Amino acid sequence: MRRTARLALGIMTAGLIAAGGAGIFVYSGAYDISATDQHTPPVYWAMQFMMRRAVAVRADESETPAGLAQAEVVRRGFALYHRNCVQCHGGPGFSPEPAALGMMPVPAYLVPVGREWTAAQIHWVVKNGIKMTAMPAWKHRMSEDDMWEVAAFVKHGLQYLSQAQYREAAANLPAPAARARPSGVEGGVGNAAAGRRAIDQYACATCHVIPGITGATRQVGPPLRGMASRSYIAGVLANTPRNMVRWLMSPQQVSPGSAMPDLGLREQDALDIAAYLATLHGD
Amino acid sequence: MTRINRDRRAALMLALMSLALGACARHERQVLLPGGDDRRGRELIDRYGCGTCHVVPGTGSARGQVGPPLDGIAHRSYIGGTLPNTPDNMVLFIRQPQKVRPGSAMPDLGIPEHEARDVAAYLYTLK
Ligand code: HEC
Ligand code: HEC
Ligand code: HEC
Repeated sequence: MRRTARLALGIMTAGLIAAGGAGIFVYSGAYDISATDQHTPPVYWAMQFMMRRAVAVRADESETPAGLAQAEVVRRGFALYHRNCVQCHGGPGFSPEPAALGMMPVPAYLVPVGREWTAAQIHWVVKNGIKMTAMPAWKHRMSEDDMWEVAAFVKHGLQYLSQAQYREAAANLPAPAARARPSGVEGGVGNAAAGRRAIDQYACATCHVIPGITGATRQVGPPLRGMASRSYIAGVLANTPRNMVRWLMSPQQVSPGSAMPDLGLREQDALDIAAYLATLHGD
Repeated sequence: MTRINRDRRAALMLALMSLALGACARHERQVLLPGGDDRRGRELIDRYGCGTCHVVPGTGSARGQVGPPLDGIAHRSYIGGTLPNTPDNMVLFIRQPQKVRPGSAMPDLGIPEHEARDVAAYLYTLK
């Protein structure tokens, strides 16, 4: 009895000392967060291993579409790769852009990845991105087909291309078709839970206080707390669900000169985000 | 050499830590708007009825939800979504929102310049 009590006390004290030490370490600013300070080998290894495991567990091999190695699919994937990925990951004879060279971790050259990873794993990373790295999630910018095609290129194309072949293919790429921006709002059903996730994908949290979103503490624009009860949107539109979708998709059209930029929201994302905002009632 | 220096500095930092942790940063009251009286400003906010449209902390019954809440307005980057948040622009917006944002639901309330300065001085206490 006495012994267990003493043991418990010992564990509690050790825990307190550890927590205190961690607090002092954080507060002292001793940890170097700069992108020029490389990780120590154990930290690097742990993170790399965790990332590989997380991807392997989540990627569903059974979803891989048939025919990913077909020349036509790989060629479409090449066009997507050259427009969206080469600026960070580089390619045969192509350096990453200056901004990418300064990233920590630096984006990998993807030939080894194409050799070692499955298409489903590459697709998963493209779709969902990687937390605490600059690897973006593409699921709000690319269709499902596009994401499979770019994975097909990394898996079945990139590693077989010489510098000369890549360069020639890049030179022969047609200019990208201008993306048709949806103009009218058709109306549809939004999902608040999906909206909460989409908010993280359009930088809303860098400018607004938004309850329920971690890190949304800046007041570049008005706080969105209580948005559901506010009468007007941006002082000019009556706050109806339809107008909210319109505002989110094209603030520059509603309010020319506004500091809120057009962020290229897809209609479904706007519907979902509007549904989430509609849950934020006044205080 | 630098290693020793670094260790020394770390030790010193730890020693200073306990002091720093104890002595929380004291908040100085900042006068952001020369010539504005924030106490008068608060009364004016009640008088002009800003609270029918805005949440304004510290004032009588300001819980309106027509426009954005004004808590934290001192830290907001833009006023009315377009004007950089400077004291002059704040005074301008309070006096003539319709000039800044034609068609906005915030009406011109006919506030004279000196009163607008007082109101702005109060708004800048809302951090
Ligand atoms: C803004 C820069 C950036 C862009 C654009 C980008 N990535 Fe990444 N990517 C990264 C970073 C940073 C990492 C994490 C570091 C690393 O490579 O391990 C990463 C990781 C990856 C990985 C995991 C590889 C590994 O070894 O960790 C794959 C696969 C990948 N990206 C594919 C792509 C594809 C395909 C595209 C284009 C659709 C793309 N990336 C666009 C920055 C970028
Ligand atoms: C670069 C900063 C920035 C980003 C990013 C941004 N906003 Fe805004 N937002 C603003 C500003 C500034 C205003 C005020 C605009 C105006 O009145 O013209 C605003 C206004 C709004 C309003 C109206 C608020 C009110 O009180 O009337 C809503 C709703 C809104 N934003 C939602 C969003 C959502 C959702 C996102 C992400 C999809 C987003 N914003 C991204 C800056 C931003
Ligand atoms: C009839 C309702 C109404 C009244 C009364 C009113 N406002 Fe407003 N106010 C609004 C609306 C709506 C907006 C959003 C305007 C816009 O963005 O164009 C706004 C915007 C503002 C802003 C900018 C907020 C931001 O985030 O950009 C400030 C500051 C402000 N009002 C202060 C005041 C003060 C001070 C008073 C009283 C003197 C007042 N308002 C009275 C409706 C009102």
